[in-house]
Amino acid sequence: MIEQLLFYTFAILTCGGAVAVVATQNVVRMAFWLVVSLGSVAALFFLLHADFLGAAQLLIYVGGTVVLLVFGVMLTASGPYTTIKTAPAEGIIGAAVGLMLLMVLVSSIGSVDWGAISGRLPSSPQSPFTADSIREAHADEAIVNSGSTKVKTDLAAIQQQGRTVRQLGLSFLGLRPDRNLKEGGANGLAPGYFLPFEIVSVHLLVVLIGAAYLARAKRRAVSEDRVSLD
Amino acid sequence: MGDVGLNAYLMVGAVLFVCGVVCMATKRNGIGVLMGVELVLNGANVNFVAFSRYTSLGLDGQTIALFVIVLAAAEAAVALAIALNFYNNHLTIDVDRGNELQG
Amino acid sequence: MANGSLTHTFSDGIMPETGDILMFLLTVAWLLPLAGFVVEVYWLCFSHRLNKGAAYVAVACIGIGFLCSLTALLYWGNATKWAALSEPEHHAHSASHDAGHAEAGHGEAGHEHEAHAVDADEHSHSPPPAPAKKYFSGTYYELARFSGLRVSLDWYIDSLTLVMFTMVTFIATCIHIFAIGYMHDELTEEYEDHEVHLHNGGHFSRPGRFHRFFAYLSLFSFSMLGIVLSGNIFQVFIFWELVGLSSYLLIGFYIERKSASTAANKAFIMNRVGDFGFLIGMMILWTSFGTFQFGDRTEGDHTQAGLFTMVRGQDGKLDVSEDGKEVYLQDAYGHRAERNGKPLSISYMLLVAAGLGVFAGSIGKSAQFPLQTWLPDAMEGPTPVSALVHSATMVAAGVYLAARFYPVFTPEVLLGIAYIGCITLFIAATIALVVTDIKRVLAYSTISQLGYMMLAIGVAGWGAALFHLVTHAFFKSLMFLCSGSVIAGCHHVQDMSRMGGLRHKMKITAYTMLVGVIAIAGLAIPGTSIGLSGFYSKDAIVASALAYSELNPGHILLFIAPLVTAGITSFYMFRLWFLTFAGTPRDAHVYEHCHENPSVMTTPLLVLAVLAAGCAWGGEGGPLYRLIADSELVPATARVASTGAAKVILPSHQGHESDVHHVHSTAGMLALISAIIGMTLAYLLYVKKTIDPNQIRQQFSGVYDFLVDKWRFDSLYDAMFVAPVHIVSAWCVSFDKGVLDPILHSAASLTVLTSKWDRAFDETFVDGLVNLVGTVTYNVGNSLKVIQTGRLRQYVMWIAVGVIVLFGALFTTIPK
Repeated sequence: MIEQLLFYTFAILTCGGAVAVVATQNVVRMAFWLVVSLGSVAALFFLLHADFLGAAQLLIYVGGTVVLLVFGVMLTASGPYTTIKTAPAEGIIGAAVGLMLLMVLVSSIGSVDWGAISGRLPSSPQSPFTADSIREAHADEAIVNSGSTKVKTDLAAIQQQGRTVRQLGLSFLGLRPDRNLKEGGANGLAPGYFLPFEIVSVHLLVVLIGAAYLARAKRRAVSEDRVSLD
Repeated sequence: MGDVGLNAYLMVGAVLFVCGVVCMATKRNGIGVLMGVELVLNGANVNFVAFSRYTSLGLDGQTIALFVIVLAAAEAAVALAIALNFYNNHLTIDVDRGNELQG
Repeated sequence: MANGSLTHTFSDGIMPETGDILMFLLTVAWLLPLAGFVVEVYWLCFSHRLNKGAAYVAVACIGIGFLCSLTALLYWGNATKWAALSEPEHHAHSASHDAGHAEAGHGEAGHEHEAHAVDADEHSHSPPPAPAKKYFSGTYYELARFSGLRVSLDWYIDSLTLVMFTMVTFIATCIHIFAIGYMHDELTEEYEDHEVHLHNGGHFSRPGRFHRFFAYLSLFSFSMLGIVLSGNIFQVFIFWELVGLSSYLLIGFYIERKSASTAANKAFIMNRVGDFGFLIGMMILWTSFGTFQFGDRTEGDHTQAGLFTMVRGQDGKLDVSEDGKEVYLQDAYGHRAERNGKPLSISYMLLVAAGLGVFAGSIGKSAQFPLQTWLPDAMEGPTPVSALVHSATMVAAGVYLAARFYPVFTPEVLLGIAYIGCITLFIAATIALVVTDIKRVLAYSTISQLGYMMLAIGVAGWGAALFHLVTHAFFKSLMFLCSGSVIAGCHHVQDMSRMGGLRHKMKITAYTMLVGVIAIAGLAIPGTSIGLSGFYSKDAIVASALAYSELNPGHILLFIAPLVTAGITSFYMFRLWFLTFAGTPRDAHVYEHCHENPSVMTTPLLVLAVLAAGCAWGGEGGPLYRLIADSELVPATARVASTGAAKVILPSHQGHESDVHHVHSTAGMLALISAIIGMTLAYLLYVKKTIDPNQIRQQFSGVYDFLVDKWRFDSLYDAMFVAPVHIVSAWCVSFDKGVLDPILHSAASLTVLTSKWDRAFDETFVDGLVNLVGTVTYNVGNSLKVIQTGRLRQYVMWIAVGVIVLFGALFTTIPK
């Protein structure tokens, strides 16, 4: 019960924050609401047993990205530019389109049998130490899950709770103790993420250099006097 | 122990996504547009993690979500730099002014 | 220089190096004029036009060539211990070309008789000489090898080669020296050519071409020596064409004169007619024999037989099959040649064709009937050219080729050669009776004498022909140079009817000319056999002809014609001399301005006169004849009866008992009588004037006109070849204009019409279609441009709308 309660609380906070971001015209307030929304998402991650991811969400988004955005606001939105009003007509059109998009998404979510699709995915035992039992449980689970959104993976959930950090770290090193390679069949490659990890690392480096290059101090061409006027 | 189920999380992700799209579509402020992008990415992340939890996608979902966070951070950095340049050139952050691509 | 295999069968103690040394000497003599040619062609690069150096270079080249040739001849004589002369007391002497030697020998009549006796004695005791191959041959350089056929640069040296080399280089040296004086007026920057009239009435004027003349002369010398030295028929053909080219260049030396350029073209084209036959002959030889080589060639331990060995074998006889249709070829070892186990043979008629083909080349080059008309026109060239190219050497190359190819000729071919020569000598001599141009008289006389040589070859008088070739070269070049001297002295007057009495002013020229005239007329002291060179050689020819006609009574004409022509020759030569030098001057102007020439011109005359008088000393027992006859490959020691289509018997001419020897004194007597009659007639007509030539001319005006028109050969050829070509050309022109042009024009206008229509189609439909596509695209782009607002938010909105529409469509169309 407590989990459901927590979920609904944070779900409402998340959605409400997001809507508030859309609705607010002031950039600084938007940033505040964004913090609320993203923080709630982090809470949802915790509820989904993704403890490392939730922590990363808090650290990077709430602690990093949003602060960065606020810095951006400070650097750009001086005085009259803090709020740039959206025309009411645009707001109405945007709301209508958004609602229609939401309806499309909701209807597609509701019309898909996720259990059946999940059964088609390669089996992913949560722990290498209990591979066999998990697979049996998984098979039962698939039967149980059919026709219902209620998913019950007691054993897996218990074993997984709060223990994703090590597994994520191993997977970034290219090791997947949670995978049974024998079941991979023909495509029995180690399903680790070593190479993507490295690529992303280099990518980050490049992006940082690029960002620094783009944002470096330049002579402002047109506008010395205008700014001083402001 | 009660469970809210996959669909509820997907609904949250959808709401976040739609809000992000609308934010991008309506905000004239460049920073606002960036915030919309963050919302869209978070919606996607919620979906990934939910699938990781409730389907046999497993750890892969969380891994991908982690990549998305990292790339979002990178994107934010670059986008902010672009926004600063834009501001340098136009003395405003209003994206409607940046219509140089008009045919 | 690659030295090929050396093939010879000298048995007794001749070093193999002999061939190498001879080859080296003759090659130097052969190539020096080429070097001279190169230097003289580029003369203006190192010197100026007025410098005489070019002439000295040319004289030096040919003079050193003469020394080399003479050395080679002496060396050959020593190496063979003068076996060819067969007379021990002649060991110390060279061949007849040494002037002093010839003079010395000339006076010793008794000695000569003695020589005859010894000669006869030796011949009667020794067995008939084996038909040994008395030659050296080898290869300079192999150009190519086509399966069986080698195309190479070869050399072939026998006594004939040596004699020809010495003769050609000696005469060429004399003429080169003479030309220094004769061409003197070319040493100027402004040469005015009085023969070329311009439209404004003036004369054509050009820079002098002294060096160019000597360059051509050197090129000619090189080519001529190349013919003589060639070791295969293909190489002969190459140099054959080269002398043709030199002749063309020299005849057309005064190219601005229309007559000269026409004459050059005429000579070149008529030679091509003959060369066509030559080519056919070469093809037959290639196909049937697979070799072009004259001599045998040893490669490793195998000896490949040359052309002559293949046809004649070791014994000099044709190996004809029983039905007379095939001739078996011989290999170098005296057996029938075999290939793949079958005996090699050639069809008899094909062999006849090959012989006639090669002889056709000779006809062209030696101006024989029916291609004789180019030679008189060739007198348009400078007189030294006429002396060297068109009397002494190049035209004799035809005779030389026919003599070289004698082993390949069958009796039928020989009969043809004899008749061609016979016709030629008579026609040319009769024309010479009426010509008044001094050079043309000599030209016709040349043709006539060449006819004698051909006749001699035809009647198996091989040695007599070449004997006459050499003697004729001397006295004819002498006479040409004398005529050149007259022309130069009289300031380019060539018409004898304007001369007369010149002997008072030009003593040397007149009396050297007289020597030449006596020589060609064949005069001798009656009762003895002492005469000038022409007497001996013509004597030998007439004797051969008489022997032939005795054996073949059907061909008596072959004896009558040369006998009569000997008288005619004597007549017209003395007529020339009397008209020019004797009597009283007919044109006072010419006589007054006439003068003797400087010594650079008269010295060669004297030297040549000595040789013209004495080179044939000894007659057929003398050294020259023996030297030449030594290289005969098919010695006729007995009568040869032909088995082919022409039933003729070739007389034997070697040895004391031979057919020719029997009739020798008779023939000599008849020829001498004929010549004396001719001389007397000329004396009566032109000196004593007991008979008026004009009366005879009027009485026989028909014959006279016929002769003046050169037997109407030019008209005949005009009617036979030129007129038909004109008619055909006219017809072709009208066909072109009447038929082809309208077709072409209509096709052209049709094409234009089609093109116009095509253009209209292109412009309206094709272009229109393309333009339509372009316009539509442009307009669509223009209208779509409006949508591209460049506004970021609008794009996002459109994306969202797009997704909605897409999903909506999916949901509505795809059933669950």
